[in-house]
Amino acid sequence: MPTLTIDNQQVTVTDGSTVLDAAEQLGIIIPHFCYHKALGPVGSCRMCAVTVHEGTFKGLKMSCLVKAEEGMVVTTDDQQSVEFRARVGEWLMLNHPHDCPVCDEGGECQLQEMTIASGHGIRRYGGKKRTHNNQQLGSFVAQEMNRCIQCYRCVRTYKDYCGGSDFGVMGSRNRVFFGRYKEGPLESDFSGNIIDACPTGVFTDKTYRFKSRYWDLQEAPSVCPHCSLGCATIPGGRYGELQRVRSGVNEKVNGFFICDRGRFGSSYVNHPDRRRQVRSDGQPLTVGDGLSKLDAQARELIEEHGPEAVLLLGSNRASLETNWLLQRWAAELGCRAPLLSAHLQRHQAAQVAAFDLSDRLASLEKVRQSDLVVLFGVDPLAEAPMLAVALRQAARNGALIMVYDPRPIELPCEVDHQPTSPAQLLAMLVSDCEPEIVRIREMLSEAEMPVLVAGGDLLGAEGLLRVKQLAVEQSNEKRPCLIHPILGGPNSFGSAVLSLPEQDDLLTRLESGRTKMLICVETDPLLEAPEGERFGTALSHVDNLVVFDYLPTPLSVHANLFIPSTAPAESAGSFINNEGRQQLFAPVTNPRLPIAETGAGNHPPREFLSTAPGSDPQPAWQLLQQLLGDMGDLETVRQQMATAVPRLVDFTNLQPGGVCCRVTDADERSLYAGDLPEQPEGSLQLVVTPARYGSDLPSRFSAKLTPRFAPAVLQMNPKDAAALKLAAGSKVSLDTEVGSFNLILNCNKDVAAGCALVENGAAFPHLVPGGLPSFCQVSAGVRDD
Amino acid sequence: MAQEEKIDQIGLLEEEELAAFIDHACELEHPREMVIDVLRAIQKNHGWVPDEGVELTATILGITPIEVEEVATFYDKIFRRQVGRFPIHICDSICCWSNGGEELAEQFQKTLGITFGETTKDGLFTLLPSCCLGVCGQAPAVMIHQKLYGPLQLDDVDELINRLRREASA
Ligand code: SF4
Ligand code: SF4
Ligand code: FES
Ligand code: FES
Repeated sequence: MPTLTIDNQQVTVTDGSTVLDAAEQLGIIIPHFCYHKALGPVGSCRMCAVTVHEGTFKGLKMSCLVKAEEGMVVTTDDQQSVEFRARVGEWLMLNHPHDCPVCDEGGECQLQEMTIASGHGIRRYGGKKRTHNNQQLGSFVAQEMNRCIQCYRCVRTYKDYCGGSDFGVMGSRNRVFFGRYKEGPLESDFSGNIIDACPTGVFTDKTYRFKSRYWDLQEAPSVCPHCSLGCATIPGGRYGELQRVRSGVNEKVNGFFICDRGRFGSSYVNHPDRRRQVRSDGQPLTVGDGLSKLDAQARELIEEHGPEAVLLLGSNRASLETNWLLQRWAAELGCRAPLLSAHLQRHQAAQVAAFDLSDRLASLEKVRQSDLVVLFGVDPLAEAPMLAVALRQAARNGALIMVYDPRPIELPCEVDHQPTSPAQLLAMLVSDCEPEIVRIREMLSEAEMPVLVAGGDLLGAEGLLRVKQLAVEQSNEKRPCLIHPILGGPNSFGSAVLSLPEQDDLLTRLESGRTKMLICVETDPLLEAPEGERFGTALSHVDNLVVFDYLPTPLSVHANLFIPSTAPAESAGSFINNEGRQQLFAPVTNPRLPIAETGAGNHPPREFLSTAPGSDPQPAWQLLQQLLGDMGDLETVRQQMATAVPRLVDFTNLQPGGVCCRVTDADERSLYAGDLPEQPEGSLQLVVTPARYGSDLPSRFSAKLTPRFAPAVLQMNPKDAAALKLAAGSKVSLDTEVGSFNLILNCNKDVAAGCALVENGAAFPHLVPGGLPSFCQVSAGVRDD
Repeated sequence: MAQEEKIDQIGLLEEEELAAFIDHACELEHPREMVIDVLRAIQKNHGWVPDEGVELTATILGITPIEVEEVATFYDKIFRRQVGRFPIHICDSICCWSNGGEELAEQFQKTLGITFGETTKDGLFTLLPSCCLGVCGQAPAVMIHQKLYGPLQLDDVDELINRLRREASA
């Protein structure tokens, strides 16, 4: 912990800190470009010059490269440093087109800030400027190369950190060009990070082009709702429109970057079909009338038919507060406790994570620091994209990454992938002699910080428990063997924490015929649970379907009573991520019809209204508070919830945008999820995986992401296809327990033998990941239903 | 070998050259270190490196085309655009400059009727500026293919150009 003096102020910093870090701790921001906390220093821009008076190396030095030393004396404001930085500022601006008025970066541009900070104001250079031809890089990222200052942050982010392979730096001297070999869409699933990383307006968000100036944008720290990792994000909106998302910083979770699903998957908030009014059998109502009607009907039904008559359904898209208030409302109504997920198997897996694994959970940061990561039944790019980037950081530090999964795994790093079918996976985890598990055990016992990553969808509750066994057996006094579970949705862990131990299944309850009214809160079991069709049929027993949602789901169209709720970016709330971190999000914009929509490109209608059109949606927790007749605000709800559920972290210790804390450990729940089914002769194991884009519902309703939606295909190992005499590229029929589907066959040798693989997404919503292990037949030709 | 012919679709490398590169790449831990060798071989045969050459190099070395392009575009002695049969690199660094390099460059431009970066209509000459050629003792100097010429007087330019023209028509 050296103590040094910077500009006559003393500061003590941790070992290994640079002079730039130390100055920042004192509130002195030394102008800099190429230095970035996640990428480290390279010393290429020469902007961060300071003068070292006492220290090993004296004189004018780059503060991003010089380590803080005991007794060091540094000045940042001496004449020599100031002049040097002014010259660097001037020289970096030589070729700049001075087009800030039409540049999207303007107002949040590090080049603007640092140029001013460096003291350069008036251009003396009168020569020709170097100019570039820009490339079309697809629908996400716009390029304007003339604004480049050669700091190399983009390429270090895209290629070095995130592992993209189609981006680089070409040319030399003042002609260096950052882009692709040939024009075309950027291929990395993390491409948008160059928008945040570039300190100038070279790379900007194409989907947000010319929409807002930074100072007009409403922003707030939030949590990404697109997978269970819960990365920190900062959405921005204006005029009722959610316009963009940029990465937030959470060193325990995502670090500094996010994936393209999280960044470009936000336009569901502005979906043109989004319903913004209460509707009761087609008739618009005020929110108050809608809620009174709901309350009265629910009470009447319970009085008449008993506690089974009303069934409340929460979800992993709904916030912790909403799910908890749903439980309170059920108690108050006198109906049975709500189900907090329509997807029983995913909910069970989440409960294993939330209870049985709670004392050995690893954060994404731990994954980055690990020296051996073994993945069981996880495809990171499909299920938890930033996990792939975390694995890359581990690999860059020398870790070995091993994957046991039936899918063809692509990762931005070296990986030892053994295609393994779901049945083999479950069997190997409890085997003593299976060679792979013997090898894994050996390697784990030698590793210093091993982490097991376990996919809840593929392994189910039983598989997660088996992974736990392995972790317990591989832990010793010196170090634990931790688990990083991957779950179904942003708040799967949260709804599991609140859930009651007894297992209950939505479909069985509905089919019993005793449920007269079903109230679905931010979930559509038609699309978000297996056996959507069976659910659809079971709905015929229900007289009254009530839906609270912010997405234009098919179920909300069928609802007898529809009550619009707000998207996470429009409300405060909290989610618990896959490793038990209780994270808060703050409201970014107020719900209302975007002016882009009402004005259709022109001036919005010149009517005088006291409220904004389409501003009826309210946070689901707030709607439930009204149903409870409780006027308490969010803070009060949170206090009550933390008292009622002692595992939760005291909310006053948490902040949106902070690192946040993990919920406390809990006793094992040891669910029994039922026996594994026998495989019928001649069948294949059905593997349903989320598509990289458009599997989680918010991303499916985000128009910005459609360029990344993949067509529906069936994938098989070529040997299996040959045995069935099926040709790659031909039309095949997939017969499953829930129906037959016509698909095009793709052969891929990295698909585990004996498996048929389909992706759930916009093109193929019929099968949902995470269901019970099941089997299928594949045959040639098209089958008519 | 049939498979190897296929990866070099427009015949940028001799068959034996291609086979040797592939063999050598297999022996190396980091085949990327051969990028320049392969590019130069292509350039020797073809006069410059077309896109197919970048892609061929990437295939031989098992790396991406952008990784090849990064190297190819860094060096000004690798040509990514068509050049004349005799690319003339005229040194513009300090020793040549102080020994009449600028006048020499002007003389070349006048004699050939082109400026830097251009190629004569007959496709014979391209003029290119270069940093120090490493023969400061012979300043002012130029380099044509791997051959260095210097010190050059203004009168030498005509003769040099004529000699190369004769060489071309021979
Ligand atoms: S494009 Fe941006 S990030 Fe990349 S080098 Fe230029 S200024 Fe830096
Ligand atoms: S990894 Fe998951 S939580 Fe993180 S940005 Fe991507 S989709 Fe969102
Ligand atoms: S920030 Fe130190 S040299 Fe660029
Ligand atoms: S300066 Fe011309 S060869 Fe060195």
